Amino acid sequence: MRKGILEYCILGILDSSDAYASDIISKLKEAKLIVVEGTLYPLLTRLKNAGLLEYRWEESTSGPPRKYYSLSNTGRLFQAELKMTWEELQEAVKIITTTPTES
Amino acid sequence: MNKTININLAGIIFHLDEAAYDAFKKYLTQVKNALESQEGGAEIIADIEARIAELFSMRLEESRREVISVDDVSFVTDTLGSPEEFQDDSKEFTQTKATSNKTKKRLFRNPEEKFIGGVASGIAAYFGTDVVWIRILFLILLFFTGIGFITYVILWAVIPEAKTTAQKLQMRGEPVNLSNIEKSVKEELDGVKERFGRFREESKGTQNQIGSLLSRFGNFIINVLEAIFGFIFKFFSVILIVIGSIVGFVLLMALFGVIASTWNIGGFDFITIDGTVLGFNAAEAVLGNGIDLTLMRVGTLLALLFPILGLISLITRAAGRPLANGKILNVFGGISFFVGLAFLLYSGGQVANTFKVGATEMSTVELEGQTFDLRADLLESPEGFLFEIDDDKLRIENVRLTIKKSFDSTSTLVLKHRARGKSNSDARNRAGQFDYPIKQTGGVLSLNEYFTVPKEALYRGQELRATLYLPVGTEIFLDPSVENLLHDVENFHNMWDGEMIGHTWKMERRGLVCIDCEDVEYYNTEQVEEQIEKLEESLEEDIERKIEELEFEIKRLKEN
Repeated sequence: MRKGILEYCILGILDSSDAYASDIISKLKEAKLIVVEGTLYPLLTRLKNAGLLEYRWEESTSGPPRKYYSLSNTGRLFQAELKMTWEELQEAVKIITTTPTES
Repeated sequence: MNKTININLAGIIFHLDEAAYDAFKKYLTQVKNALESQEGGAEIIADIEARIAELFSMRLEESRREVISVDDVSFVTDTLGSPEEFQDDSKEFTQTKATSNKTKKRLFRNPEEKFIGGVASGIAAYFGTDVVWIRILFLILLFFTGIGFITYVILWAVIPEAKTTAQKLQMRGEPVNLSNIEKSVKEELDGVKERFGRFREESKGTQNQIGSLLSRFGNFIINVLEAIFGFIFKFFSVILIVIGSIVGFVLLMALFGVIASTWNIGGFDFITIDGTVLGFNAAEAVLGNGIDLTLMRVGTLLALLFPILGLISLITRAAGRPLANGKILNVFGGISFFVGLAFLLYSGGQVANTFKVGATEMSTVELEGQTFDLRADLLESPEGFLFEIDDDKLRIENVRLTIKKSFDSTSTLVLKHRARGKSNSDARNRAGQFDYPIKQTGGVLSLNEYFTVPKEALYRGQELRATLYLPVGTEIFLDPSVENLLHDVENFHNMWDGEMIGHTWKMERRGLVCIDCEDVEYYNTEQVEEQIEKLEESLEEDIERKIEELEFEIKRLKEN
């Protein structure tokens, strides 16, 4: 169920601003969308390999250099598309669940 | 004081104490196993490692420490989650990959479930059958024709080993799962621990009761045996399989006479294989044709049943699907093992008993002439056996010849026949039953590399020690054919037996001297002897003079 949604959320986070993996993690954790961090790394790599994300290295004051993720152009387009689909879906779900059924 | 281990994580060095290192290494291995096979797996692992480095740095900074502890590691594993957890998301991904792999399965040797080279388990994975059947097939082929062995070796050489995770996936069409094996090992250990714990409590409880000593002792024996046997049975059955297979291999070769070529085991060429199904008969040569041989055969088969059954249950357990009646099989295997062992011990004991006493008989052959040409060509010597049945005779290749100086003027060959038996008279009687033909025609003395005894005498450590006594002045040529016969022949030049052959030797007062060796300095032996004598004489003179001088001196001192 969460498959796809999680991807959409990542793209959504990156749409507003570029972020480190740890930033994305803390946001997703706040929203209780993921429980363990390990889930995210395969996902990020997959999205990056699909050409939706880009990253650059940034020095960190504590620890090793971090990957700083941002949306690529295709990523931006894809995100917009997903957003439309998502809103449509949301609307549809809302209509179905709030309209009393007539039997 | 605690030892720390340094690791390099994403280019940063961390100090881990030992417990933390073990836990962390285990976790990282799990992560690697889970992710390696995925697309971009290496990158994901690198990212995760970087994140761990970040978390470690953070923890250390917070608490102003320098060394990573187990708590830090468990914090990291909790935060990142177990590999199974974060694989959830990509499950669909790997599943589709696995099914697509099933269509193009490849034959690999399986290094994880190997007994010898992993051939059988690789084949089993390829055909999707249980490895037990493939192994049984190999064993049958091995024991009844010997083809199994050759086939196995060829397959071993030809089929590549599944080294990478991807290859393992190709081999099986499923992800590698270490947790099953790990789980079963853990359960086993817990079982043993539990039993020991229970025993300790029980013995405490009964401590004060009357007659508790006896019951405590009984409990102790039962519990310890239970624990020990449970442990040994499961974990050491593999070792037993190896030993059983080697013993079984040798014995069954002996029993069924399996064919391939000559096997050289432990320096003893005692198994001759010559292309027929009846060749080998060492067991018969030792055990005779009676009840002992039958007992040994039955015992071997029964004892072999145990490791085979143990193997079956071990593998099915490792595969996570134990046999329905595995327990009964184990019990049956155990009983048959001990019965077989009893058979083997009994017949082994019987045989050992007949090796108890040794005896020696001697015979002397007088030789004629002053020059000899020693050869070992009287009978043709087949290669590579210690003892072997030949029709109604038992051929034994255990003859050693040495050459010594004779004390009189006759050349003699002294033969010491040795044999063992269950009593002195038995051994003596057997030592008398030797057939070792010797032939002297002109100067040529022909000997043999082996001797024969009647088949009924059985092999009881018979050996022949021959000594050729030569008087001073005799010359002997050692034909290359006697190389295997010569043993520790003392000579003036301290040459090895192998170097002595092909040369003519002369027996002199000081021992055997080579008279046609090119690179030996003392060629003209008489001259050397003369020189030595002269030296000795002058030395004696010197000493006498010195003594005289000293005596004179003493006398002079006394007078003063």
